Amino acid sequence: MIKTLGVRKKNRRRFNWQIFLMAMAGVLFLAIFAYVPMFGIVIAFKDLDYTMNVMADLQSKPFVGLDNFIKFIQDAQFKTVMTNTLMLGVLELVITFPIPIFFALLLNEIRNNFGRRLVQTCTYFPHFISWVVFGGIVTAFLSTDGGFINSALMGLGLIRSPVQFLSNADYFYAIVIISSVIKGTGWGSVVYVAAIAGVDQEIYDAARVDGANRLQMALRVTLPCIAPTITVLLLLAISGILGSGFDRIYMLQNPLNLTRSEVLDTYIYKVGISQRRFSFTTAVGVFRSIVAVILLEAGNITSKKLTGNGLF
Amino acid sequence: MAIRVSGKFRKGKSGLVHRTNKWDIMIYAFMAFFVIVCVYPFWYVLIGSFSDGNDYMRGGVYLWPRLVSLQNYAVALVDSRLWIGFRVTFLRTVIGTVTNVLFTAMVAYAMSRDNLPFRPLIYWFNMFTMFFGGGLIPFYLVLKQLKLINTFWVYIIPGLYSVYNMIICSNYFRSIPGELHESAVMDGASEFRIFRSLYLPLSTPVLATIALWVGVGHWNAFYDSMVYTTSRDLQTLQLYLYKMIKTSEFVSTADMGGLPSNIQQNITATTVRYATIVISTVPILCIYPFLQRFLAKGIMLGSLKG
Repeated sequence: MIKTLGVRKKNRRRFNWQIFLMAMAGVLFLAIFAYVPMFGIVIAFKDLDYTMNVMADLQSKPFVGLDNFIKFIQDAQFKTVMTNTLMLGVLELVITFPIPIFFALLLNEIRNNFGRRLVQTCTYFPHFISWVVFGGIVTAFLSTDGGFINSALMGLGLIRSPVQFLSNADYFYAIVIISSVIKGTGWGSVVYVAAIAGVDQEIYDAARVDGANRLQMALRVTLPCIAPTITVLLLLAISGILGSGFDRIYMLQNPLNLTRSEVLDTYIYKVGISQRRFSFTTAVGVFRSIVAVILLEAGNITSKKLTGNGLF
Repeated sequence: MAIRVSGKFRKGKSGLVHRTNKWDIMIYAFMAFFVIVCVYPFWYVLIGSFSDGNDYMRGGVYLWPRLVSLQNYAVALVDSRLWIGFRVTFLRTVIGTVTNVLFTAMVAYAMSRDNLPFRPLIYWFNMFTMFFGGGLIPFYLVLKQLKLINTFWVYIIPGLYSVYNMIICSNYFRSIPGELHESAVMDGASEFRIFRSLYLPLSTPVLATIALWVGVGHWNAFYDSMVYTTSRDLQTLQLYLYKMIKTSEFVSTADMGGLPSNIQQNITATTVRYATIVISTVPILCIYPFLQRFLAKGIMLGSLKG
């Protein structure tokens, strides 16, 4: 044992070119596809909107300071876009985030192995389907022309005429959140199921001897034991609050529900790619990145103060 | 106290067996409901796709096709764009997954070694990109400078490496006993050789997990196809589906070009759409048993030492 440790130490000290080159391949990749774009942020501080040759103008055009950021804040769309993005983000955090935790706790209560496997197989499935397909199914379900939901509601006599679910902006948040819950709950619970499996059985035995019932065991034993996992995922979820998930929003969006469905992700795509407002779009992107980093840092500090563990 | 415990649990063949009570029934009922909510939408589309179009539009088809017809599939399969989409998506999934897994695993191997020079620095160089980025336009310009826009390689090269998967893979490599590495060094194997012939074969569970993860991502991607390509020959399956679904929903505003006009006017547009959705989902369905097994296992591997 002492011998092996000696070899290891010698190895560690020697500069190994092969190892270094392998790591450098990753560094080179990130330099090109992550760090060069970060330097591209200068575009946000120049006026390159609608230009035909960005690279040439990037050299010649003067800096315009924070003009593009001010333009975004004063834009007629700013309020709509930010409200929708934040509302969906908060709803996501309050509704979509905790549901998989409760789902995992319930799954843990199913004693029948076959039953549990069956529930897992069925509820994980929607996660692997693209939002294009899933959004298409949601659209078909909500259709006014014989869609399942409208037919069912009319069959039950709850409504007289079909509800315009997707053409009425008021329903948009609910549609996105409910379909995300259906699509993501099963798979979202996998991490928690894994964490629960790692909980020491002796704690349960001890709780049982103390006369704890199942609800108490779930809330007082399981939940505290998986709290570190929840914290990490919560912090990641908070930092992602401004990312609404382009695919699902874009899929369910239509011109009639834009007042509630336009979010930063879709807005950036439209002004950047369709309208070619390069500087403006970059400014919006930078704004978004900075807010995300601030949220992550704030969450991390709060969590370290409250629970003693954070992301970094 | 002991009496209370034995009241709640009776001895069975395998130790303590729980007696079903009203809570169990409520949990089972809830689970059954949620399972139906998750599965029924797919069933709804499946029966729709096998229904006669005109008959289906009369409504009332919920559990079983009333008038079975394969016509939707005949119409859906004729469209050449479906096949182009299938080909592009299949190629990007296979090539993209293999290259990503090998490249990511290679970097992960280097990152898992203690003798990597400047390891903390390289680690933070990696981590930073997970939380901060340049955004859409600068990234687009980089791709343009590299002449990747409107080529097939725009699907592969920018997706060659993933920091998150690297960390998971690297954690797994670290769990492999160091003695194995040492004995390989004693035998005179180079680091690259050790990675290729020792670590890669030993890590199949985590590599399979990452491969399936990346593969599903490739199969379901449509944003990159929409933003970085304009050529019809590079359109992925999901982008074709997107256009097809949106075109028949909001004909006046969505970008046309999803479907030939004779189908657009046909009343069976809905059921043909269902058929196309089913066709595009079949490959996922085929590998789903593997997906579920490996991915669930892989999450546990990753969370082992987060």
